[in-house]
Amino acid sequence: MFKWKKLGKIFNPTLTSGGDWMREYAQSTSVLLLESCVRVYFSCRPLPDSTGKYVSYLGYVDLDRNDLTKVLYVSEKPILELGDLGTFDEFGTNPASVIKVGDQIRIYYCGWTRCESVPFNSAIGVAQSRDEGKTFVKLGKGPVLSYSPEEPFLLGSPKIKWFNNTWYLWYASGSDWLENNGKPEPVYKIKMAYSSDGIHWLKEGRNSVAVKLEKNECQASADVFFYKNQFHMLFSYRYSVGYRAKEAGYRIGYASSDDILNWKRDDSKAGISLSEEGWDSEMISYSHTFELNGNMYMLYQGNNFGKFGFGLAILED
Amino acid sequence: MKWKKLGKIFNPVDHSLINNCVEFAQSPQVLVFDEFVRIYFSTRERDKTGKYLSHIAFVDMDKEFKKVINLSTKPVIQLGDLGCFDEHGIFPINVVKNQGRVMAYTTGWNRKVSISADASIGLAFSDNGGISFEKFGKGPILTSSLHEPFLVGDAFVKVYNEEYHMWYIFGTEWITDPSEDAPQRVYKIAHATSNNGVTWVKEGKKIISDKLNSHECQALPTVIDFDNKYHMFFCYRAAIGFRKIKDKAYRIGYAHSDDLKNWIREDSLAGIDISTEGWDSDMMCYPHVFKCDNNIYLLYNGNEFGKFGFGLAILEEF
Repeated sequence: MFKWKKLGKIFNPTLTSGGDWMREYAQSTSVLLLESCVRVYFSCRPLPDSTGKYVSYLGYVDLDRNDLTKVLYVSEKPILELGDLGTFDEFGTNPASVIKVGDQIRIYYCGWTRCESVPFNSAIGVAQSRDEGKTFVKLGKGPVLSYSPEEPFLLGSPKIKWFNNTWYLWYASGSDWLENNGKPEPVYKIKMAYSSDGIHWLKEGRNSVAVKLEKNECQASADVFFYKNQFHMLFSYRYSVGYRAKEAGYRIGYASSDDILNWKRDDSKAGISLSEEGWDSEMISYSHTFELNGNMYMLYQGNNFGKFGFGLAILED
Repeated sequence: MKWKKLGKIFNPVDHSLINNCVEFAQSPQVLVFDEFVRIYFSTRERDKTGKYLSHIAFVDMDKEFKKVINLSTKPVIQLGDLGCFDEHGIFPINVVKNQGRVMAYTTGWNRKVSISADASIGLAFSDNGGISFEKFGKGPILTSSLHEPFLVGDAFVKVYNEEYHMWYIFGTEWITDPSEDAPQRVYKIAHATSNNGVTWVKEGKKIISDKLNSHECQALPTVIDFDNKYHMFFCYRAAIGFRKIKDKAYRIGYAHSDDLKNWIREDSLAGIDISTEGWDSDMMCYPHVFKCDNNIYLLYNGNEFGKFGFGLAILEEF
């Protein structure tokens, strides 16, 4: 069983004087370890338009390797442009997962488009960096992972990993849109695909973790890591409706696996939950774990889906 | 090649159609039976907001194509659930007989906000001779990918040498033009192969050269083999002004191949063009070639994208 010690919030986008593209939200972190710093990618937003709709961009902050609570630099412009007219990522890039394999730095991201009968749809894109992750160039105008007979819409929340010469992508996949009195809400579950090159993917085609709350439980952000001879997955889950309120909001779940394919869910072992009060007292989600200087760390977001930034925890046990 | 036009053979306004559809019989495609020919087409109803929903219907005609024997009286295939790729229309449908079943490759449409709609290709099966179809999953079998970013549709499937071949189209650009109210799409013909008709590998390139310009729109490829060659008919048009200006509207294009991979475009050999007057004098589109008994036929739509039906031509010389 894990035990995480919270180190508090370390970045709040509403308090920076950066560009208009980063006024609110710092969601769904992903870390690139550089010699000079720990580069933390996240998804952020300008203020909403006159109809209340948001777009989202990807940016980063550089943290001090010896003191992760110290922000050294905040990116001045988005690392990736939004897509052209009619493309899958025209209206947003959120979230993203960065990886370095050999000399290659790639980012897998969820792109958003707007629809008529439902508010949005999404698919997963990929881009590559040649400047240590400061900017990325898309490998194509379309998605690298898109819809299929059993995964009809809403592919998102990519988490890219590389184990034993194989690329693994855990992602969220939509199964239903609930009518919800004219305000459709999606249902999505964690799935996995694998690949020899990170471009051509084979979908495993089943839910990675069992549901706990309800049949329509929504699951995302499957952060998988290998630690002490076992694969561990921390993920986020919530009720399908009413999840903006504390009772039905996001929590962090846990599953373990010996073979990376079959997962045993046991949320009691996650070792992190809501605080009594403060910035992570109503929801806690989108965890990202990484190892640095012999310690395991977790970045995560709290209340309001990360509108006011993300925090850090360190593994004690 | 020389085609003889046999005239318009079906006008939807002369019949009562399913799903409250009143006009349009687009992209006719056939299933040939011993005693009759079943011709599928896309027709349209208006929804609550006044926008169109395309539905699949069929008409059974005698083998002289003079008599309507039967008209579909029930929905042939349901539109998709909320949020699905085929929620707002299926147009067109391509049907393939396969070991006692009928496979259908559909193009499903769903409406977007910044552009009118997107499309993907779905699969469905019929166990009652094509009277109705059940979908293979809620999602598409062929859709957007890294280099084919949107508007994947117009599948036409044939089995040659135990390999499934699909010709289809994919979108390359949405362009804006001051003369048009909304963004207009550009799409090209491509090719994919499969060993089961379900999982496909895209060849990953456009296979028919442009004639008009790089914004030429190419649609509805249909392939047939005769005279020791493969022949592809398709339709093409300008990206802008094609609804109102005759010279920008759909025409029939033609290409031929010896190996199903490399295609040489030679529209001048198509042997068919718009008429000087009448129902197909402004445009010709959505061609479908097929063999029936000992003849080779071409079904197609004429003016107004098939609002008032489709016609037929028969190959006289090749």
